[in-house]
Amino acid sequence: MQSEKNNTSDRELLLSRLLDAPVELVWEVWTHAEHIANWWGPDGFTNTISKMDLRPGGEWDLVMHGPDGTDYKNKSIFREVIQHKKIVYEHVSAPKFTATIQFERQGEKTLLTWHILFESREVFLQTVKTFKADEGLKQNIEKLNHYLAVQKQTNG
Amino acid sequence: MEARRDVFQAIADPTRRAIIQLIAEKPQNLNAIAENFDMTRQAVSLHIKLLSECGLIEIRQQGRERICEAQLRQLSEVSLWVEQYRQHWDNKLNSLEKYLHQLQKQRKNAKRKK
Repeated sequence: MQSEKNNTSDRELLLSRLLDAPVELVWEVWTHAEHIANWWGPDGFTNTISKMDLRPGGEWDLVMHGPDGTDYKNKSIFREVIQHKKIVYEHVSAPKFTATIQFERQGEKTLLTWHILFESREVFLQTVKTFKADEGLKQNIEKLNHYLAVQKQTNG
Repeated sequence: MEARRDVFQAIADPTRRAIIQLIAEKPQNLNAIAENFDMTRQAVSLHIKLLSECGLIEIRQQGRERICEAQLRQLSEVSLWVEQYRQHWDNKLNSLEKYLHQLQKQRKNAKRKK
């Protein structure tokens, strides 16, 4: 029962995707701030990257601007950078996690694997919980907007 | 003042996770549970009290014994939330995929124009 320390399965996420683009392009899009700002979600968010120093020990500062005007600051430190192969960064603002992104050339396609390992099960659960709460909040705002729109219609 | 109890608080502690795991296999009484842990019966009892307050354990009186049973329905709520969170990261990949597609198309067109 004390296998918890070595077993990371309860505090990690593993995602992978075969992307229809050569590894050079995927790498380019991942490693340039002006590209990242275009795809680093979520929907309805915009992103400002004030610093992206892509080398071990280099800092990465990204602020996500939510649709309701809330700013979410993300500070990370790059730990490992192997061109066209691997990026490891440590997300040092809350929630603390280490992300490992691997790029694998498959002909003209690229298999991207994204591994997110949280500092502890506690941090992971707290993150999931906060996310759920934020989602709830977002839905509330959507409901309110919808309600206001309906009100406008009936009154106008 | 009573602290708010929820399923996340319940499973945040490794001992409590171990207790749930133990009784999920087989419902048992407090003494039997306590034997598995290197802590006082009182300490285990407190964990069980909290688990029961969070609805993860139901305590059933059976003769003179109080049997603890795991209520796993609540846990599936957590895995549902984890799934939603995972979806949030998956969306990042969707959006990367879309952006790559768009970029390749743009570059192809730009080449053609030259």
